[in-house]
Amino acid sequence: MSTALSAQHVSVSFDGLKALANVVLDIPPQRVTGLIGPNGAGKTTLVNVLTGFQAPDEGQVFLDGQPIGGITSHRLRRLGIARTFQSGRLFGELPVIDNLEVTGVGLGLSRRESQARAEAMLDWIGIGALADRAAGGLPYTDERRVAIGRALMMEPKYLLLDEPAAGMSAEEADDLITLIRRIVAEMKCGVLLIEHNIGLVLNICDHIHVLDSGEIIEDGAPAAIKASEKVRHAYMGTQAEAGGVVL
Amino acid sequence: MTVTQRSSLLVRTISTPIILIVILILIAVIAKLVGSGPFSRTVVEMFIRVMLVAGLYIFVGNSGVISFGHIGFMCIGAYAAAWFTIPPAMKAVTLQGLPDFLAQAQLPIFLSAALAGLLAAIFALVVGRIMMRLAGIAASIATFAMLAVINVVYSNWDSVTGGTGSIVGIPFYTGIWTALGGAILVVIIAYLYQISRSGLALRAGRDEATAAAASGIDIVRERLIAFVISAFTIGVAGALYGHFLGVVNPDAFYLGLTFITLSMLVVGGMNSLSGAVIGVIVISTIIQILRWLEKGIDLGGATLSIPNGLQEITIGLVMIIILMFRPAGLTRGREIVWRFGPWASKPSTAGEVAVSKNGA
Repeated sequence: MSTALSAQHVSVSFDGLKALANVVLDIPPQRVTGLIGPNGAGKTTLVNVLTGFQAPDEGQVFLDGQPIGGITSHRLRRLGIARTFQSGRLFGELPVIDNLEVTGVGLGLSRRESQARAEAMLDWIGIGALADRAAGGLPYTDERRVAIGRALMMEPKYLLLDEPAAGMSAEEADDLITLIRRIVAEMKCGVLLIEHNIGLVLNICDHIHVLDSGEIIEDGAPAAIKASEKVRHAYMGTQAEAGGVVL
Repeated sequence: MTVTQRSSLLVRTISTPIILIVILILIAVIAKLVGSGPFSRTVVEMFIRVMLVAGLYIFVGNSGVISFGHIGFMCIGAYAAAWFTIPPAMKAVTLQGLPDFLAQAQLPIFLSAALAGLLAAIFALVVGRIMMRLAGIAASIATFAMLAVINVVYSNWDSVTGGTGSIVGIPFYTGIWTALGGAILVVIIAYLYQISRSGLALRAGRDEATAAAASGIDIVRERLIAFVISAFTIGVAGALYGHFLGVVNPDAFYLGLTFITLSMLVVGGMNSLSGAVIGVIVISTIIQILRWLEKGIDLGGATLSIPNGLQEITIGLVMIIILMFRPAGLTRGREIVWRFGPWASKPSTAGEVAVSKNGA
């Protein structure tokens, strides 16, 4: 099998309700893969499966060809898969630098090494000034950047970003695009980007998957997705109506 | 671009334990200067409670799991000290069920205290392997069950523990300096745990368990480490307490002490070591003042006294008032740090300058 983080025919259901049905998705290295879909389509469930937080009922997840089923989520980190959460989930009582250091400690580094790596990471992202601030009180944008920094501390091969731009202004979203490009180019990382901001996804992704009611209904290059009739339908009545999405 | 010029962790945080230790030493010196018997005993008791609450903090403060069971470790430690140090001739009469090697033993006090802590730690390791898998209220209930089990066993295993009666004959040893040494030892252990990798990992798990797992943290393992270390410190505290009273009985290590130590931790602020120590000092001081009032104060012939039992009620009221205004405790969960002069622990703010947007 190819070099990628890959979901093969993954199905998950909760109390008989299908959350994912026979999903096939590859996250190749050093590419940005997009995952879009209406609310409740199963996007976060898929991220949970790919990162070991949720065991699939059927199917398998492969990391560069090796099945990774049954490995607990904290061990999976060491294999090079990192994620962020929709709601930030920073360690609110700890300073920003400690939030990043936790990942270093989780990798087995000493606190001294963790601190050095965390400082370098904060500087790399450009938020070194936040190091000693309590993570709990950060503004939205900074919170997201700290969360990304915490995930990158792992030096992951694959990074899964769950709605990193939610609630951001257009300008802040542009900054995020720059950051994601740098992650791919400088950290040699394969990125899965889950977003409702379709403009951002079309702008940055190399390949896009569209999930609706637990099934991948379309996948292809941004231009193809933009033109797809099916995708248009999936979004009709959900977001297009609210005037939020112009494909 | 290096914006984050920071000193090492130790340099940034060392002022906290130093300040706390200086406070404890000052209290000990004052007690020596005053020289009154009852006051000295109060101070010794306070130092032992510093050991208990700082030891409790190692687990509760860092993990966020309230434990009702730690006084059980004190019970284990105190009885172990009794087994190790009571003269064999007395044990032959009162504790006939002791195995030979214990019945014959009479160890030096510090060796015995260390072994007592070790026994509590081993017990914590065994039961903790199961209990630490629980989280939240289920974990707290399990610790309470552990306390009850320990109490029932020590109350009924007559031939080894003397049952509900007291075991006498434990050598008196613990005075102000020994108790001070114990308190300093536990403060240092708690501080070292706090800045350790395990301490950081555990606090991360306390704030956000899922995200901690995503950062590669095995929360169950880190909880177990904290549980065992705190059991050790509290076991040692139990041993020193035994050498202070000369007598142990199982009900001294039950609900009353459990709740007073937890109250001290909560009032001080359970998320910081400073909170643990300050909580003990403040509540102990209030208790002492109330005790004096209960006994009666002589005011030029007239004796002013408050009815017995008002002490507990007042302590309860004081705690409610403190927590109304400081829900996170007196220290608000922060550490006391030195902010002046060349040894300032205050983190560098040099990072405020010259950060261009987006790090470009």
